[in-house]
Amino acid sequence: MQPVNLFDLASQQARWLSVRQTAVAGNIANANTPGYATMEVEPFEAVLDNTRVAMRTTDARHINVGFGTDSLMVRQTNENSPTMPSGNTVVVEDELMKSGEVRRHFELNTAIVKSFHRMLMMTTRA
Amino acid sequence: MDPLISSMKVAASGLGAQSERLRVVSENLANSQSTGNFPGADPYQRKTITFTAELDRAMGARLVDVSAISPDLSAFPMEFQPGHEAADENGYVKLPNVNVLIEMADMREANRSYEANLQSIKQARDLISMTIDLMRSQ
Repeated sequence: MQPVNLFDLASQQARWLSVRQTAVAGNIANANTPGYATMEVEPFEAVLDNTRVAMRTTDARHINVGFGTDSLMVRQTNENSPTMPSGNTVVVEDELMKSGEVRRHFELNTAIVKSFHRMLMMTTRA
Repeated sequence: MDPLISSMKVAASGLGAQSERLRVVSENLANSQSTGNFPGADPYQRKTITFTAELDRAMGARLVDVSAISPDLSAFPMEFQPGHEAADENGYVKLPNVNVLIEMADMREANRSYEANLQSIKQARDLISMTIDLMRSQ
């Protein structure tokens, strides 16, 4: 039987979504800061495709370089959004759209985890 | 730190910055008629506020902070009012360089930004409670 990695995938996506929400919140907070460029997280596909070789930690002094929130790249977008005279590139409406997107994906994510968990419980109870 | 908690902190810093901006706007509006009280005296000088983004390394997010509240250096409008106590020898009074329309527009913008920050706090809270709901027994 194949090992089930859905929970792992779901928690990876939840982590990615919360990092994205932080980036969006930072953009909204800095919507009036001169010279601020919009920040964005690398797309989730890129995170999945990027097959990292997780190094084994056999000693307490080894540094774990596995998948963590620190390894998610948050960088400035280079898309041609309109720039304000102050050098700010944040469009609050776009950020609110992104925030709604994060919410929808998070809802879907938790719903899937819930129903998968229910399925597992059904098998164990039977 | 948990990214959702840090997103709440970032939004809270935005709320603080916008309310500071609102304070400056109301100061300008309240003093839009404040002249000096001796002949040739300077009236109230309009204040402006600027923000700056600062990186919080512990959270890995960029908070917003007030960088400076500085005086507006534009010229004061003059009005001919010989009977005024701040009138100079030619009878002209310096009035504050506050434009009420600009202040109103600034107030609206601060209000809108405040609401957007409030919205992102609500959103982070909802995401956290969705996660907690996973533990609820169905």
